[in-house]
Amino acid sequence: MDTTMNPATQLYCTTHPAMGTEYSLYLYAGSHQEADSIARSVFQEVDRIDGLLSNYQPSSELSRINRDAFQHAVTTDPETFRFLETCMAWSERSHGAFDISVGKLMRVWKFFGASGALPSPEEIARAREDVGWEKIRLDTAQRTVRFLSAGIELDPGGIGKGYAVDRAVRILRAKQVPAALLSAGSSTIYALGAPPQEAGWKVRVPSVLLDGATASTVVLRDTSLSTANLSEKNFVHDGHFYGAIMDPRTLQPVEGTLQATVISPSATDSDALSNALFVTGPEGRAQLLETRQHDRALIIRRKQSAQQHPIAAEYEAIRWPADVARESATELSSAREE
Amino acid sequence: MNRRSLLQGLSFSMLAAKLSSASPFYGQAEPQPKTSRSISANDRIQIGFIGPGSRGQELIRQLLRTPGVEIAAQCDIYEPRFAEVDELVGKKVPAHKDYRELLQRKDLDAIFIATPPVFHAKYAIAAMKSGRPVYCEKTIGFTPEDCNNVVDATRRTGQIFQVGHQMRYASWIVESVNRVRKGDIGEPTHVYGYWHRSDNWRREVPNPSLEHLMNWRLYRESSGGLLEELGSHHIDIANWVFGERPQTILGTSSIAVYHDGRTVGDNVQAVFGYSKGRRMFFSSLTDNGLMADQVWIYGTEGSLQITLEDATLYKQTSKRITEASHSDVVQKGVETGASYNANSEMPYRGPGYRLHPKPGEDATRTACGSFVDCVRNKQQPFANVDVGFGSGIACSIGRQALYEGHMEKIPELRA
Ligand SMILES: NC(=O)c1ccc[n+]([C@@H]2O[C@H](COP(=O)([O-])OP(=O)(O)OC[C@H]3O[C@@H](n4cnc5c(N)ncnc54)[C@H](O)[C@@H]3O)[C@@H](O)[C@H]2O)c1
Repeated sequence: MDTTMNPATQLYCTTHPAMGTEYSLYLYAGSHQEADSIARSVFQEVDRIDGLLSNYQPSSELSRINRDAFQHAVTTDPETFRFLETCMAWSERSHGAFDISVGKLMRVWKFFGASGALPSPEEIARAREDVGWEKIRLDTAQRTVRFLSAGIELDPGGIGKGYAVDRAVRILRAKQVPAALLSAGSSTIYALGAPPQEAGWKVRVPSVLLDGATASTVVLRDTSLSTANLSEKNFVHDGHFYGAIMDPRTLQPVEGTLQATVISPSATDSDALSNALFVTGPEGRAQLLETRQHDRALIIRRKQSAQQHPIAAEYEAIRWPADVARESATELSSAREE
Repeated sequence: MNRRSLLQGLSFSMLAAKLSSASPFYGQAEPQPKTSRSISANDRIQIGFIGPGSRGQELIRQLLRTPGVEIAAQCDIYEPRFAEVDELVGKKVPAHKDYRELLQRKDLDAIFIATPPVFHAKYAIAAMKSGRPVYCEKTIGFTPEDCNNVVDATRRTGQIFQVGHQMRYASWIVESVNRVRKGDIGEPTHVYGYWHRSDNWRREVPNPSLEHLMNWRLYRESSGGLLEELGSHHIDIANWVFGERPQTILGTSSIAVYHDGRTVGDNVQAVFGYSKGRRMFFSSLTDNGLMADQVWIYGTEGSLQITLEDATLYKQTSKRITEASHSDVVQKGVETGASYNANSEMPYRGPGYRLHPKPGEDATRTACGSFVDCVRNKQQPFANVDVGFGSGIACSIGRQALYEGHMEKIPELRA
């Protein structure tokens, strides 16, 4: 069968486990065979990035850096080095709200390979030494990484999936796929082109308050969207809710933010920025977004109401391209209050 | 000197030098290698790379993680590779379409060769003649003649030559072989290796005219098939364990599944004969759902299993079965009852003793790092040309045996 005769009008779908989540790919292709072959290359690339940056695989380049970079400067390959430079740039830009050196913190709070538990104050105090992007030194001329503290541990959780999506989208483009949607476990999504007769791919941003409800639906084309929220890993201790997104500056899980969603041309950026916005306070958010005129954000925060009711929310939309259903949340909170 | 303590705490290049002088298998002392440019301690080693395809790019990636190395030139007959290499290296790497052009450059300190095997000997010999150390993927030659010529050229030029048998640099395999040679499983008599794939071993080709360039592994004129591509690593382990090269090969190969135009088999079984009745068996086929790559070493007092991730040593239960009895069986008598015991039908070896790799160890990175050390320190590598000859000659003669279906004698190194 000559596949060049087949316009890419059939939608195919496939999934692939990687980076502790499931990647989904929707793509238009001319035949099953063509879709299979494209999907294989896409997921091969995702696995390659996982093999490069995973902090769960001891054989990854990132794990090697984690093991050796305090002992001596580690020479790394240009791709890993550029990735680390990007991470450092986001730390600088966000004044440390985004920080891949939170590895030790994730361990202390038992979020590494588990769903979290309250550490002792001494454990937290000890982690202070081992966290902080300023303790990571990159030498561009030598292409080396060096840690200034023995306990530094890099955790790519806030940017790695975005980077993998960007790299995988390069493959889709190189294979001239006209329309595809790639989702890294739904936290980072890239919309390539648009389905036939559509303006783009529809992505629903959930309401954090009401299961199944939608806060906003956006239509995306050739851009990415990432969401940071606490649905993945969290625990409740003494009636208090703790989520797995850390404020590296306070060494505590972030309080107050419920969800941050960002639309940005680069998935690496939307992933990092959604996490930075989740962590940082209102002034920090304004400052961060001011310099990023192409990026859009929708942030959902817990309302500081008089009765401290946990389920009232406030929405902050910055250059957000669609309506936000604030009512549903308000209705819900009043309904529950009865 | 105890070989195991010798291994501990030594860099691989020191190890390589010591092993090569300590073992009769690693050949006679060679003249001091010469390089075209003198390299001082702070110089970055400038590497010229021939054939940066799939394996080649993996080697480049590991070289980029090695301190003090520069990928300074590349050569390939398929031009799209150049952009791939530039991307990997993060800058434009001067590109040549002909290996002779690359070798003419005066700024290179060492040459890597990862083309399909038919070109290995020719390119490696030319590179050594041009005064450069060579890292050459396995197998070192395609024909018996090729293999001999590479050894000749290495001896004549006194060049550093390393073959792509990175398993020689995997800590858990090094330790396995040392334990065997120390006598931990008695006398090793058999090495059984299998590498069972679970795919068609075919690459997708962007355009039919590239079939032979990209699927060179599937055609007899360019490939020794599964025996050469996968078996060579296992044959090398057998050579290492037995301390010699095989003398005979008996083999067979067929196409059982993939009648798709390929001319090499999609499955292979081969038996290599060593001195004193010792044997190495290799099997490869295309359908498999479990661990794909294993080597078992059997000895008179135990066995050792090597995988790509670890190794496990199994000791036979002690041969002495009686001991002095102090029980009161004579006074009290014995009891009668049911006799069936499922465990005694099939004696189980027990859990075995595990040898683990160092965390995150990558044998290819170690092999590349060690080669770079050898270039700096002007030493012959551990996986030297004799090692390359051992697997190369076995595979090139083996190819004939598989196709013709009879036993072939494997000749000695040409005098
Ligand atoms: N040590 C190992 O574990 C290991 C693993 C895989 C492959 N290999 C070996 O590496 C070699 C390459 O295998 P591969 O899978 O990378 O093959 P490949 O086809 O992916 O790469 C070979 C490259 O050489 C180029 N080439 C072909 N002819 C050439 C010529 N005359 N001059 C210059 N370039 C030429 C090709 O265009 C291609 O880019 C083989 O010898 C193979 O046995 C070793």
